Amino acid sequence: MNYHWNWGIYLEQIKGGGETYLSWLMTGLGWTVSVSLCSWAIALVLGFLIGTLRTAPSRRVARLCTAYVELFRNIPLLVQMFLWFFVVPEFLPHGLSMWVKQEMPAKEFLTASACLGLFTSARIAEQVRAGIQSLPAGQRHAGLAMGFTLPQTYRYVLLPLAFRIILPPLTSEFMNVFKNSSVAFAIGVLELTFQARQMQEDSEQGIETYLAVTLLYFICAFIANRGMSWIEKRTRIPGCIAAET
Amino acid sequence: MIEIRNVSKWYGKFQVLTDCSSKVEKGEVVVVCGPSGSGKSTLIKCVNGLEPFLEGEILVNGTQVGDPKTDLPKLRSSVGMVFQHFELFPHMTVIENLTVGQVKVLGRTKEEARRKGADLLDRVGLKEFAGKHPGQLSGGQQQRVAIGRALAMDPICMLFDEPTSALDPEMIGEVLSVMQDLAREGMTMMVVTHEMGFARNVAHRVIFMDNGRIVEDTTKQEFFGTPRSERAQLFLSRILRH
Repeated sequence: MNYHWNWGIYLEQIKGGGETYLSWLMTGLGWTVSVSLCSWAIALVLGFLIGTLRTAPSRRVARLCTAYVELFRNIPLLVQMFLWFFVVPEFLPHGLSMWVKQEMPAKEFLTASACLGLFTSARIAEQVRAGIQSLPAGQRHAGLAMGFTLPQTYRYVLLPLAFRIILPPLTSEFMNVFKNSSVAFAIGVLELTFQARQMQEDSEQGIETYLAVTLLYFICAFIANRGMSWIEKRTRIPGCIAAET
Repeated sequence: MIEIRNVSKWYGKFQVLTDCSSKVEKGEVVVVCGPSGSGKSTLIKCVNGLEPFLEGEILVNGTQVGDPKTDLPKLRSSVGMVFQHFELFPHMTVIENLTVGQVKVLGRTKEEARRKGADLLDRVGLKEFAGKHPGQLSGGQQQRVAIGRALAMDPICMLFDEPTSALDPEMIGEVLSVMQDLAREGMTMMVVTHEMGFARNVAHRVIFMDNGRIVEDTTKQEFFGTPRSERAQLFLSRILRH
């Protein structure tokens, strides 16, 4: 292999900017983390709401929520990014459309967060539904028999239990958010993948670039994983065999 | 206290309850028995509206259970229910199981609820288990906690849905004795059970069900003396033989 290794590349000054490549990568990391956490917040709120409603007694509401899940699950994430960025603004009322296209602050960031958040929420909704439906009917009955309203039964009995059941898949989902956020580069968010492409072109040190990016993504996902494990330990129910394994 | 009038219920085309009528007076203990699949559990779950029914009416303390205008949560909070599989909330400690309803439904303060919960735990003999989780208790202990949890809401009557069926034989006694104390104190109780000993000891009346119908509804003396229906005689001869 005729490759010119240069491990010092990260700290080299970039021509004309006074910055280092490392600072590019760090900016990228900052945007990656921001998009990911923002999406995760949206995904959790919507995912739990939609997933819960899918188990609610109203057939119409449940069907509507099923349609929502199917819509976001069946379209590739990259296509969804483009749809939100290029297509959706065209269908907004004229004034709003102009504002979104020309004046909306942090347009790329907000679009990417919303898109990834909605995409992930559909997946979480599916897990929440499965979690709730895996609970024995007796728990619902016990909550209702005590005098809880249906929302109270969900709030105090079903959702806390379902949450614990779905924590393992939720962990993967949280890690996925970090990894999927790389798609945001396609609409121009200056996140890690975007910066990596820039650095590769500018420095012509592709291997060092992508090794560094790989490591940074790995660290993000790893921290996400550890964080969720910590929550899993904290919420473990004493005396439950399922929770101890 | 509980009035069941001509109740019928279907699961799809399958009729699970056919024209069931009965009554539980205040302070009365009524045992509901019958073979599996006879509709006993379904009937008792209709009483607090956990199972909807299509025809007939059920009144609890004068309130229509089947009426869509009825505030079911309020009605249910005054009717205690104990389940076959205990159904304690596994993510809460024992004392939290006894207080959550008092606080969230009845609006009692946490301290009030705690005091009441601790008293009831003491009464079912499990005071030292307050901080444990249900999963750390034996079946019999869990069922006693479940009875305590129901009592914490100061119910006007109690429904028991096969409270000892999921228990190891040596734990049945501890649960039955709590129930017997309750009956002697004058609690109105409707009990679905196969424990004929319990029926003999504390029941005032026995309802015998078969195929979704109430076949016998009679005093304890008559039921164990000379049940009128052949089906009940057969049932009794089968379970009393052991």
